[in-house]
Amino acid sequence: MPASSIDTFLACSIMIALVLSAMVSTSNNLSPSINELSHKNDAERFQQLAQQLLLNKGTPINWGSLRDVVPESLGLADSASSLPYELDVDKVSRLNRQNIYSLSYSQLWQLLGVSDVSFRIEIKTLFNLSTTLISKTSGVNETTYQFDVYAEKSGTPVLALLHGYVVVRDYVNNFASSTSSNGHSSILVTIPNSVSGTAILLTFAKAESNSQIVTFNVYNFSHNSSEPWPNRTFTRLNPLNYVLNVTFTYPSEEVLKALVFTYNYNFSLTEKSRSAQTVEYDIPRLLDSSPMLLVTTGLNESSSFAEWVSYPQVPLETGADFDSSDTGAKTVSFSHIVAINSVLYKIVTKWGGSA
Amino acid sequence: MFDNKGQIKIIEAFLAISVMFSVLVLTAPMSSTPDLEKQEKLKKLGTQVLIKLDNNGTLGKLIEGENWTALKQSMDLLLPTGVFYNLTVYDENMQKVNTQEVGNSSQPGPEAVVIQYLCVTQSSDTRFYTIQLQLAWPE
Repeated sequence: MPASSIDTFLACSIMIALVLSAMVSTSNNLSPSINELSHKNDAERFQQLAQQLLLNKGTPINWGSLRDVVPESLGLADSASSLPYELDVDKVSRLNRQNIYSLSYSQLWQLLGVSDVSFRIEIKTLFNLSTTLISKTSGVNETTYQFDVYAEKSGTPVLALLHGYVVVRDYVNNFASSTSSNGHSSILVTIPNSVSGTAILLTFAKAESNSQIVTFNVYNFSHNSSEPWPNRTFTRLNPLNYVLNVTFTYPSEEVLKALVFTYNYNFSLTEKSRSAQTVEYDIPRLLDSSPMLLVTTGLNESSSFAEWVSYPQVPLETGADFDSSDTGAKTVSFSHIVAINSVLYKIVTKWGGSA
Repeated sequence: MFDNKGQIKIIEAFLAISVMFSVLVLTAPMSSTPDLEKQEKLKKLGTQVLIKLDNNGTLGKLIEGENWTALKQSMDLLLPTGVFYNLTVYDENMQKVNTQEVGNSSQPGPEAVVIQYLCVTQSSDTRFYTIQLQLAWPE
């Protein structure tokens, strides 16, 4: 074989190797960009789905208040409002699985109408409030409780105005305060010893800077009795369409009082209807910029209970559980600020590739 | 063993290798683009926060009342924790109105998104303000 042929063969081999390595390198370099482009398309699609969920009213437009109706299409926007990102109190409440009229994730998924997408919806207040019992001083006629209330957002103290109520059986009292620069406030509550049972301390906190930013906390404690009963032990409270449905757990229960509380107001609820295991009360349409807390107190034989539910029924989480999912599918989340009955909340929607 | 003609072809091949590899090496960094998706999300969130704050006239009231502390507190509560922001209010003549800094960072960074929002007050003497909101995720 002539030497020139060997040289040509070597040169061709080097060129082929060069072309192949160039192809591999180019492919490696471009694949992240191609993946990113494909992911970007997914993200845009998920963004549109999130917008559709928050800006559309669904079909029928008042599906939230129709307790037995499963809507034809899903949308959470308030049918009575023309402003964007205003959500309907009943549509939101029907996302909460603790409400007997709630829609299951399977129903929500079918209503969204996108078979290859799974999703999760989380709604919460814009800052947190926590309550701690500091001390208890028993007198002859009354007992004084001292509580520490702390308002914060991700560990940062929040300046807030506080207004709250204490409820035991048919006794109701209220207090007002504000948090200091460290987010804490000390609350003193006095309850007469003539009443006893599970007591609840309802505290509303309104951000000093914006009256639409309101949160709440409910603290159960016992007054002249044994340990307080956990919420939802005796009744299941289901607010919808400005009617509170109270379903009893035990047949011997009796409701002493049904009340509604907001930041500024509290009223007794009017009974609407009654059957063996349920009572329904009308909820007034209050214009106060505040979530509503609905409270029932009652008796089950010798046990005195006090139970509550918020309306809209938040905080809530519903949908696919992406945290425990091991599919490795990439999820995209979107955060929005929405208003429900003039109060601002944070809604986070999470979207994933397959249902 | 090799004649001159063959050596030239090998030199050609090596030259071609060096040219093509240098092109690949030089173009590789260009394929990494900034995270446009995160910036786009931030822009949409910032716009939506301003719209919500303006819905019932709160934004205009805070600006007219020169209540910069309350405006900062509202933005702190409405924006996600950790997001750097700086908000500047301009009047009709594009003169800066806010005398205090409204934000948690004077320089949110080179990858900050800028949102411009026109706020119209709901008071009897209607006024227009241009709000410039800079937002950035932490590095």
